[in-house]
Amino acid sequence: MREYALLVISAALVNNVVLMRFLGLCPFMGVTTRIDAAVGMGMATTFVLTLSAVLDWTLETYLLEPYGLGYLRTVTFVLVIAASVQFAEAVVKKVSPVLFQMLGIYLPLIATNCAVLGISLLLVEGKVDFMHSAVFAFASAIGFSLVMVLFAGLRERLALTEVPRIFVGPPIGFITASLLALAFMGFSGMSAG
Amino acid sequence: MGAASDNETDLIEPDMMEGIANVVAVDGSVAWLEPEQTGSCGSCKSSGACGAKGIGTVASRLEERRFPLTSHPGLKVGDRVVVGVREDALVQASMTVYAVPLLTMFAAGFLAQWGSGSEGMTIVACAAGLGLGFVIAHLRARRLSAHGKMAPRFLRRARIGETCQIE
Repeated sequence: MREYALLVISAALVNNVVLMRFLGLCPFMGVTTRIDAAVGMGMATTFVLTLSAVLDWTLETYLLEPYGLGYLRTVTFVLVIAASVQFAEAVVKKVSPVLFQMLGIYLPLIATNCAVLGISLLLVEGKVDFMHSAVFAFASAIGFSLVMVLFAGLRERLALTEVPRIFVGPPIGFITASLLALAFMGFSGMSAG
Repeated sequence: MGAASDNETDLIEPDMMEGIANVVAVDGSVAWLEPEQTGSCGSCKSSGACGAKGIGTVASRLEERRFPLTSHPGLKVGDRVVVGVREDALVQASMTVYAVPLLTMFAAGFLAQWGSGSEGMTIVACAAGLGLGFVIAHLRARRLSAHGKMAPRFLRRARIGETCQIE
C-alpha cells in the first residue's frame, strides 16, 4: 500500500505532468480562464487519460511487444486515445443527455492533449505491472487537474487586479505559471529526502 | 457557461453560472436552444484553419447540444438569451459521470489483485468495475435530473455584443 501512496505523490506532485514534464500546456493556458471550465476539463482528462493508459498498457503487453510490433506503438496509442474520447462521449451522452450538455464540450479537446499520449509512452518505458500503471496514470491526471484548477483560480483573480499594461493577458499568465512551477519544485525535495 | 457578472439577476441567483444560447425553435411552451461557442476556440488566432472543427467543436456539435427550456417569457426563434445553471452542478455532474466509474474500476481491480494475484483477472475485474460504475452513474444522473438540479434556467435576454468570455 505504501508504494502506491508514494507513486501517487510522485506522479501528482513531484513529477507533475504540466509543471515538471511540460506536457498538456495547450489546455493549461487555453482552458484556465474560468474555474468551472478548468474543473470540467480536468475531470474529463482524468477519465480519458486513465482509460487510454490502461488500454495502451494492455495492447503493448499482450500485442505489440510479443509480436515485435513496437514500430506501430505511436500510431496505435493515438488511435486508442481517439477511440477513448469517442467512447467517453458516447457514454456521457447515454448516461445522461443533460450532463452531456454541460460536459460534452471538453471531450474533443482531449484528443489533442499531448499529456495523454505522453503518459502512455512513459508507462511503456517504466515496465511496471497493470495496477501500478493504472494508478500512475490516474495520479498524473489528478496532478494535471489540480494544476488546472489552481491556475484558473489565480487567473480569475488576475482578471480583477490592476496589471501593468505591458503584462496584461498571456504575459502575466506565463509569469504566474512560472511562479507556480517554482512552487511545485519544492516537492522535488521530498524525493531527495 | 460563463462566470456570473454583476447584474440584477445575480442578486437573486448568486450561485449561477451563465452562458449564452440562441433560440432555434419554439414548440408550444418549450423553446429549443443551442449554446453559443465558448472556451478558447473563439479567441484562438488559428481558429480559421483549426482541424478540431472536423471532430466538432462548432457547427457539427451544436445540434447535438440542443436543449429545451420550459419556462420562458415568450421567446421567439433567433433570440439570444442568457441561461444559467447552479455553480455546483458542474462539479456534481463531473463527479457523477467521470469519478464514479473510475472509483469502481480501481476498487474492482485492487480486490481482484489481492484476491487472485493474476494480471488477467485484474484486467477483467477492472473492465467489470468500469461497467458497474457506468450503471451507478446512470442511476445517480437520473436522480439528479429528476430533482432539476442540472436543468438550465432562463435568466435574461442577452445584450447586444454580450459574450461570456473573460478577457
